Amino acid sequence: MDPARRLGRAQIDVFAQLGVSTVLLGGIYALIAVGLTLIFGIMRVVNFAHGEFLMLGMYLAFWAYTLLALDPYFVLFVSIPVFYGVGLVTYVLVMRGVIHASHNVQIFTTVGLSTALQNLALVLWSGDFHTVRPWHASTPIRLGGTAFNLSQVVAFVIAIALTVLLFAFMRWTHTGRVMRATAQDREAAVLMGIDTDRVYRLTFAIGIAAVGAAGVLVSPLYAVYPTAGLQFVLLSYVVVVLGGLGDMVGALIGSLIVAAVEVAGSYFFGTAWKEILYFVLFIGVLVFRPAGLFGQRGAENLGV
Amino acid sequence: MRRRPSLTVVVLIALATGLAAVTWGQSVSGEYKIGVLEPLTGPLAGEGKRHLEGFEIVRDMINERGGVMGKKLAFVVADAPDPTAAASEATRLITRENVKIVTGTYSSRLCGAASEAAARHNVIYWETSCVDPRFNKRGLKTVYRTEIDATGFGWYNIEFIVKHLAPRFNLKPGQLKIAFISEDSSYGQGVTESAVARAKELGLQVVAPVEYYNFQTINDMTPIIVKLKQLAPDVVHHIAYTNDAPLFWRQAREQNFQFKALVHAGATGYGGSDFGKAMGNDGNGVFALLEPGPGFKLDSLKPDGQKIEKDFRDAVQKRTGSYPLGAHQLAGGGLWLLKLVLDKAQSDDPEKFRSAVMSFDLPVGTMINGWGVKFSETGQNSNDRVQHYMLQWQNGQLVTVWPEEFTTNRAKWIPLGAWDARK
Repeated sequence: MDPARRLGRAQIDVFAQLGVSTVLLGGIYALIAVGLTLIFGIMRVVNFAHGEFLMLGMYLAFWAYTLLALDPYFVLFVSIPVFYGVGLVTYVLVMRGVIHASHNVQIFTTVGLSTALQNLALVLWSGDFHTVRPWHASTPIRLGGTAFNLSQVVAFVIAIALTVLLFAFMRWTHTGRVMRATAQDREAAVLMGIDTDRVYRLTFAIGIAAVGAAGVLVSPLYAVYPTAGLQFVLLSYVVVVLGGLGDMVGALIGSLIVAAVEVAGSYFFGTAWKEILYFVLFIGVLVFRPAGLFGQRGAENLGV
Repeated sequence: MRRRPSLTVVVLIALATGLAAVTWGQSVSGEYKIGVLEPLTGPLAGEGKRHLEGFEIVRDMINERGGVMGKKLAFVVADAPDPTAAASEATRLITRENVKIVTGTYSSRLCGAASEAAARHNVIYWETSCVDPRFNKRGLKTVYRTEIDATGFGWYNIEFIVKHLAPRFNLKPGQLKIAFISEDSSYGQGVTESAVARAKELGLQVVAPVEYYNFQTINDMTPIIVKLKQLAPDVVHHIAYTNDAPLFWRQAREQNFQFKALVHAGATGYGGSDFGKAMGNDGNGVFALLEPGPGFKLDSLKPDGQKIEKDFRDAVQKRTGSYPLGAHQLAGGGLWLLKLVLDKAQSDDPEKFRSAVMSFDLPVGTMINGWGVKFSETGQNSNDRVQHYMLQWQNGQLVTVWPEEFTTNRAKWIPLGAWDARK
C-alpha cells in the first residue's frame, strides 16, 4: 500500500515532518540565493562563480573548526568582513573589466572564475570530503512527531534575518535607493551623478559577503569539498528567477517553493523526479511570468 | 689529395657516436610507458588521486622487482574529470604519447568512454576499478577488467544478507524485508539492479521500488527516510557515492529511523575513508563490500598470495602510514596483474597480450587482495575469483568481518540497536 495513503496519526506526523523539512531546506536555499539575487538584480551579471564562494565559506568554517576549534557560529562574524573583502578584490580584479561587456563575455568570465576557484581549492586542500561536526550539528530536536537538526534551525533563522536586513537596506537607506536606481537605468543613474562603479563594487561585495556567510552556516550540514558549490548553485538560479531578479523577499518565497516541490516530489513520486519537477515549474514561470513571481513587469528586459 | 681528418674531428665523431649509443641503449633496456587515466580534478578527484597513489606504489614495487618485460615501468598520467575528457585524454595518450596500454579510471562514469576510445585505436585498455556491468558487454577485443563487475557486488551483498544476517536476526529469507536506495550512475544502478534481482530470486520481501537519486544534487534525504520508515525494512541496501552517505546516515539518525542493518558495496560512499572521518563512532555498524581490510588473515591465502599481499601492505604502509585503502587495493592489485601478463606475453601486441591474459588460471588466494585470475572471453576477470569481503565500520575503522574464514574480526551490532547505543 502506498505509504502516503495511510490515514491517522502516523500520516499527520509524516506531513508535519515534510512541512518542517520544506521550511528548513527552503531556509538554506534562501541563504544562498539572497546574495545571488542581489548581484543578478543590480549588476545584471549572472555570477556563475557564486557556488564557489559558498564553497570557500565552507572551507573557512572547516579550517577554523579543525585548526582553531572555533564554532562555525563564531566564524560567521569573522566571515562577513572577510568575504566582503574577497568580494571587493574579486570585483576590482575580475568583474570591473567585464561589467559593460556583453552577456557572453560576462558568462565566460564568471564560469572561468568558478573553474579557477574549484581547482585552486583542489590543489590547496585536495579532493577529500571534509565535515564540520560541532555539537549542534549532531543535536536532533524532536517536536511533536517531527525531528530536525539545531544547525538547520539556526541557518533558517539567519536566512530570514539576512533577507529582512537586505530588504530594509534596499528599501530605506540612501545607498539602497542608489543601488535600485542603478539597476533600473544605468545611463540615467550616471546622469543623476551616481558613481555606478562604486554601486557595483558595493553590490558585489555585499553579495559575496552574504554567500560566504551562507557557506559557514551550511558547513555543519553538508560535506566540504572543492565542488560543493555545484550542489546548490543551479538551484539558486531557479530560485532567483522564480522570485524575480533582485527581489529579496521573492528569493525567500522562491526558495520555499522550490524546497516544497523538492520535498513533496521526493516523497510522492521519488527523488529521481525532483529536478524534473522544479525545472518544469521554472519553465512555467518563464513562460507565464517572465519577470518572476514577484518581479516588476518588464524587469526581465532591464539592462539587457 | 684528400686531407686526413684531424684528430679533433675523429674524437668528436667518436664522442657523438658514443653518446648516441648510450642514449639508444637506455631506450632499449630503459623505460616502458603506459598511460594512466584518473579523475584528478573535479568531483571525483578525491578517490581518483588515491587510485593514482595505489598505481604509483605498485609501479615502484614492480620496478624494484625487475620492471615489466625487462624494462622500467613508467607512467604518462592524464586527468579525466568527466566522460568527455576521459575519451579525449585516452585518445591523446594513444596518438601523442604513443602508449600501447591505457589503465585507469576508477569511476563507472568514465571507464566506458575511455575504453571505447582505446579500442578504436586497437590499444589495450586495462580497467582496475570501475564496475559498470555494460563495460565488458560491448564485444571490444582489447578491453579487460581485473575488478569484479557490479552484478558480482549485488550477488555478494545478498549472499551476506541471507547467509549471515538473516540467521542472526532469527528470520527466514522469506521473512526479511529489504529496501533499496541508490545513486543513479551506472555503478549504483548496476549493483542495485543485480541485488534486487537476486533478492527476488531468493524470495526476500522488497518493500518498495528502488529509490534513485543524483548524488551531486541531493540536499535532503528526509523525504526518502520518512517514506521508508513507514515501510519498516529490516535491511537498507544503500549504494552511495560520496557525501550522500553521511547525509543519509545523519538524517536517518535525526528521524530515528530504526533498521537492523545497512549494506553498501564499493570503495565509494560508506566504503570510502571520508565516511569514517565524517562520522567517527557514530558510523558504527555500517557494512560495505570491499577489498580486504584490517583483520584479513594472511595465512588464509596461498603462499604466493601471502608474500605479495604482505609486500604490498608494507609498501602502502611506508608511503601513506596506514593500511591499504580500497582505492590502493583496486589500482595496485590490477597493476600487479598487468605486470604478470606482460611478463608472460613479452609483448604489447593485442593478440599476444590477449592469449597471455586468457592463459592465466590462478585460484583465489594467489594475488594481492587474495584474488585469483581467470578471464572470460569478454575480458572480464570472473566474479568468483575476485573474492570480495564484507567490511564493517567499527569505531572509526573499516574492518573485515566476512567471510569469517578470511578474518579475525567479527561483525557487531547485529541487529543495530538504538542510534545512541552503538558503542
